[in-house]
Amino acid sequence: MNETLHRLNCFVENKPGVLARIVGLISGRGYNIQTLSVGPTEDGTVSRMKIDVLGTDRVIEQIVLQLRNQVNVIEVTVRHAAKRG
Amino acid sequence: MKSFEQPVCGAQALVDSLAKAGTEVLFGYPGGAVLDVFDKLPGAPFRFVLGRHEQGCVHMADGYARATGKPGVALVTSGPGATNTVTGLATANMDGVPLVCITGQVPISQIGTDAFQEADTIGITRAVSKHNFLVQNADEIPETVAEAFYIATHGKPGPVVIDVPKNVQKQLTKAQYPERVSLRAYHPESTATGAQMARLAKMINEAERPVIYAGGGVIASGASKDVAAIARKAGIPVATTLMGLGSFPETEPLALGIAGMHGSAAANRAIDNADFILALGVRFNDRVTGKLAKYAKRAKIVHVDCDPASLSKNVRVAMGVTADVKDVLTTVNSRVRKNEHPAWLAQIAAWRKEHPMAWKPMHPGVIMPQQVIEAIDRATGGDALLVTDVGQHQMWCAQFFRHKHSRHFLSSGGMGTMGFGIPAAIGAAIGKPDHKVVAVCGDGGAQMTFEELVVAVEHKIPVTFVVVNNGCLGMVRQWQEMFYRKNYADSILTVKGRCGNERLDEDLAYDYLPDFVKLAEAHGAKAMRVIDPAKLEPALAKAVRHPGPVLVEVIVEPRANVFPMQPGDTPVEGMIFQ
Ligand SMILES: Cc1ncc(C[n+]2csc(CCOP(=O)(O)OP(=O)(O)O)c2C)c(N)n1
Ligand SMILES: [Mg+2]
Repeated sequence: MNETLHRLNCFVENKPGVLARIVGLISGRGYNIQTLSVGPTEDGTVSRMKIDVLGTDRVIEQIVLQLRNQVNVIEVTVRHAAKRG
Repeated sequence: MKSFEQPVCGAQALVDSLAKAGTEVLFGYPGGAVLDVFDKLPGAPFRFVLGRHEQGCVHMADGYARATGKPGVALVTSGPGATNTVTGLATANMDGVPLVCITGQVPISQIGTDAFQEADTIGITRAVSKHNFLVQNADEIPETVAEAFYIATHGKPGPVVIDVPKNVQKQLTKAQYPERVSLRAYHPESTATGAQMARLAKMINEAERPVIYAGGGVIASGASKDVAAIARKAGIPVATTLMGLGSFPETEPLALGIAGMHGSAAANRAIDNADFILALGVRFNDRVTGKLAKYAKRAKIVHVDCDPASLSKNVRVAMGVTADVKDVLTTVNSRVRKNEHPAWLAQIAAWRKEHPMAWKPMHPGVIMPQQVIEAIDRATGGDALLVTDVGQHQMWCAQFFRHKHSRHFLSSGGMGTMGFGIPAAIGAAIGKPDHKVVAVCGDGGAQMTFEELVVAVEHKIPVTFVVVNNGCLGMVRQWQEMFYRKNYADSILTVKGRCGNERLDEDLAYDYLPDFVKLAEAHGAKAMRVIDPAKLEPALAKAVRHPGPVLVEVIVEPRANVFPMQPGDTPVEGMIFQ
């Protein structure tokens, strides 16, 4: 199974501990986050996280389902990011 | 928020909120960072039970929750109090048990300074809880408690931690308990679509070799009767997971018993040969599937679970349905046709006859451990709440007790936590005072949380604690025998540290460590030791009738192994029967 780069787009409640929970869920499975950016949205109570992570489609699918299960996660979408050398 | 009420301190608001949330029993242990809360407990409208170790407190709350279906509640102090809860939380988290655990914390101004008894409880418990909260202000307390109970009990249940700094407990607040909870981002309710239901009904009706495979999710959803209704109507045999034991009465002819590593031949072969499997509230854990690539390869699987993340996590399924198991079954029932599957059931009966769950005596005059479980079944008319610890005795409890009722088999399945049995049994008995509770422990695991026995003594809780004493960490010893060249490294618990007792006579008891009878007596409980097979049944009959806590130490054959066994990562053909 091929590991490819995936871009996870997460909209989360802007509350303490949410970033740690999400990063922990990904890194706790031994997956390395390649890039991470967090920023505000127009709605100040919602933050947006962009997370690039290498993994097989199956593993990423599982991570997305578990992210959606988190109490503070509003929405997660995923797409393949451009391949990097 | 109403403001005409008099303000109260955060500690009082916490106690009031726990009461509003429906708390009947609080299991806990005091310490500096929660003394403000303890100060308010005497006036609380719920019972407080003082455990003797925070792990014990959480396991008690867990046992209470598993037995009653209501959330268990625990209260501990900061630092070591909080870190001692980790194993208990992880155990509940794995098995989807609803808990709310309040931890004290150092004052907010001291967080991050390595203050006395400071621990990063939020960081530490994140990975072993469903969710956790750090309360920043006393005004947040009522709402946070309400949300914690909501999260613990909705979707896949689980433990929720509320970390409450000491200064917050002292702050004044007028905040009121909310009338309803609505969480912006957490909406776990999900229902099956009409198309899914139609497809499911068609698959059930067209199946020639169907199996229902029922897990802990059936019990959590209260769907046992609905499983039985469909199984009987459509003539479908039912296998269960460890967590699903009791969800379908094993006294029914359609019952296959437990599936998996130590499951019955009938259950494992039925799953292997089925053309259709209706998997309800299960996770397809590795202890159940064996070699994944070969698991149930002839079957179309429909997997129903309230947790979308557990669908197709481990096995590929024909259809995954994220929904409440009970909802799905009640809806599909009317579309299911009456059926009998005589050839399929005859085949299963033949497998059952070929390899029944059975045991043979190994040495005359020596009690076999399986016999102890059968004797408990008889002594309690099969109606006891059976609480186990972890190891060989746990598997024998799964195999040799005829499980009939849901919420009557309480065991640490996912985590396999030794030390669960004694405190969980006490919690279960507190939650179900009208039921006989029997705890079955190994000699290893009993030593991990034995201190909690005094709680049963203090509260006069009539649990029967049975220690199945094989003088060793039996499950470890079995693996060493089978997979590690009989190199019994550090798995023997007797004084002489030897394994094969060639002679078993009255002297034998003195080689065992500790002396469980003296130990139980020192804790204030009645205790007896049984060595002679002829005395086993009378001793148990007497013990279960005793109105207070009693411990029965049964010296059993040390070399008995758990069979059948389908070792990890082997297919069903690899099942070993002796
Ligand atoms: C806390 C914990 N530590 C270690 C283990 C690994 N383990 C699983 S079964 C077992 C042996 C249990 O021995 P005992 O309690 O005597 O039960 P028996 O198997 O003899 O019935 C051990 C050490 C565990 N499950 N839990
Ligand atoms: Mg043992």
